Amino acid sequence: MNSFASRYFTDLPKTALSASYWIFVIYLLLPLSLMMAMSFKEASFIAFPIQSWTLDWYAKVLQDQQFLGAVGYSIFIAVATTVIALIIGVWIALLVAAEGIWGRAMIFALACLPAVVPGLINAISMRIFIRVLDIPTGTGAIILGHTVHAVPFVVVMVLTRLRSMPHSLTDAARDLGADNFVAFLRVTVPYLAPALAGSAIFCVLSSIDDFVRTFFLGGYQPTLPMLIFAKVQGGMSPEINAMATIVLIVTAAVGLYAEHFTRRSKA
Amino acid sequence: MTESRTSRPGTAGREAAPRYRGWIGQVTRSPLYAGTIGVLAASPRARLVLLVIVPLAWIVTFNIGPIYQMGRISLMQTYPAPDSGAVLTLDNYRLFFREPLYFMPFIRSLIFAALVTVVTLIVVYPVAYYVAKVIRPQNRKRALLLLLVPFWAGEIIRTFSVIMLLANRGALNYLLREVGLIDRPIPMLYTYFSLSFGVVYLIALYMLLPLYSAIEKIPSQLVDAAADLGAGPFERFRRVILPLSKDGIVSGCSLVYLITIGVFTAPLLLGGPNTVIFPEIIAALFHASNDKWPAGSAFSILMLIVSLSTVGLFMKLVGGRSVRLS
Repeated sequence: MNSFASRYFTDLPKTALSASYWIFVIYLLLPLSLMMAMSFKEASFIAFPIQSWTLDWYAKVLQDQQFLGAVGYSIFIAVATTVIALIIGVWIALLVAAEGIWGRAMIFALACLPAVVPGLINAISMRIFIRVLDIPTGTGAIILGHTVHAVPFVVVMVLTRLRSMPHSLTDAARDLGADNFVAFLRVTVPYLAPALAGSAIFCVLSSIDDFVRTFFLGGYQPTLPMLIFAKVQGGMSPEINAMATIVLIVTAAVGLYAEHFTRRSKA
Repeated sequence: MTESRTSRPGTAGREAAPRYRGWIGQVTRSPLYAGTIGVLAASPRARLVLLVIVPLAWIVTFNIGPIYQMGRISLMQTYPAPDSGAVLTLDNYRLFFREPLYFMPFIRSLIFAALVTVVTLIVVYPVAYYVAKVIRPQNRKRALLLLLVPFWAGEIIRTFSVIMLLANRGALNYLLREVGLIDRPIPMLYTYFSLSFGVVYLIALYMLLPLYSAIEKIPSQLVDAAADLGAGPFERFRRVILPLSKDGIVSGCSLVYLITIGVFTAPLLLGGPNTVIFPEIIAALFHASNDKWPAGSAFSILMLIVSLSTVGLFMKLVGGRSVRLS
């Protein structure tokens, strides 16, 4: 008994740390699990307890043209954002990594600006900006807003990888007769592939999840978060939960797959 | 890329170019390529221009441009400016300091963000420490993943899920009533409690990752050495672990503070009339008709300056390095 007590007390910090971890996990998972559970409730309003269960809300959501339209629209915006952000982000990273360019630290700091400006101010300044340039709100404005936000993250991820790349690789390609463009395509881009994959996943997920920029830059066609927001404001029913659950499971699957993929390519 | 190097003799001539298979070969063989990108790739000056021009144009137009336009409009009396030309004025900034309706939510926002940052730090630090140091290394990735998964759900979905827990007919009130602790639901939604709960729920990750990577780098030998020299758990924490994780604390707190200052979704769904914070005030000015845009711009500029300088001051005082995004 005595030895048990002494062991218990020396392990106390460890036990407390472990408890804090599991309490935190519960804190993170509980609201989302409740939200998922509610999507199976057989009633047209959101309230606990759940007495009878149904799959009807899912059947309803999967036939909902508005929902399917929003899914397509969100994916379109995410893909466009990712393509532009990758091109611009790699370009800026190449500039920051190049030797003998004056003011590279300054360029890097300014390139990261949209990532440190609070989200709401970023969104509002873009709203003002497109108004000054007479760009209408809607698809183009949303893609622009998402891209401006995503580029700094691409720059940082690509730059980290680029700095670990030996010069000898591109030099060898050029000695073998490749011009700079071919050396870039055949040597630099494949070397950057893990960083590009990570950046692409980040761009897609952050674009699909984005609310505040879309809120200020969007037109009448809703993206997924806008649609869910509108439904929450317009009176809640478990239909929203079914929608959110589908979105949650798909994005988590993409995230898990990406995690798996990047871990394998690092090994 | 080694753009600064001049082209070497022997590789400048296009005749020496090898033939590539696949689509790259088709592209490089085409006369269009030889006349455009081929020429650019061969000339060092053209390459330099190509390397510099797009990033600079992008940064100046889209990173500086919007902030500049916001600053310009914040000095206007009305927007759009009348045909007779814009009159520049500081009235919009004066309005902020004169009107408690604007001033008070701003102060509230600053205090709220500071409190949320401290609470998040206290809640997340032991969790980050547990994952980085206590768990066996082979389980570490999985333990971290369990914490990351909820953050792949978007802002709206996570905020909405908090309603499930805290609503009058939500899970928590139902549980308390079943147990018999309360007769009627405690109104938890639309209060500072629900707002902070939701905000911490949104941003905990931005505290977790910097803390985790800082704590993970602390060599275990240092902690063991302190223990051998007779330091108890608390002493080890205060004199070894805490100072060595300072970088992570500074980055995590800065990120969380900056995000909380500009939080918009959580007050929209979880806040009530008693919890009006500054982002809502700004957003309302932009939703109203256009004549409020100059005031809204001025308020945004003030918020930007105050939040960035608070973080800058904090980093200077605590002495950590600058925020790193990776």
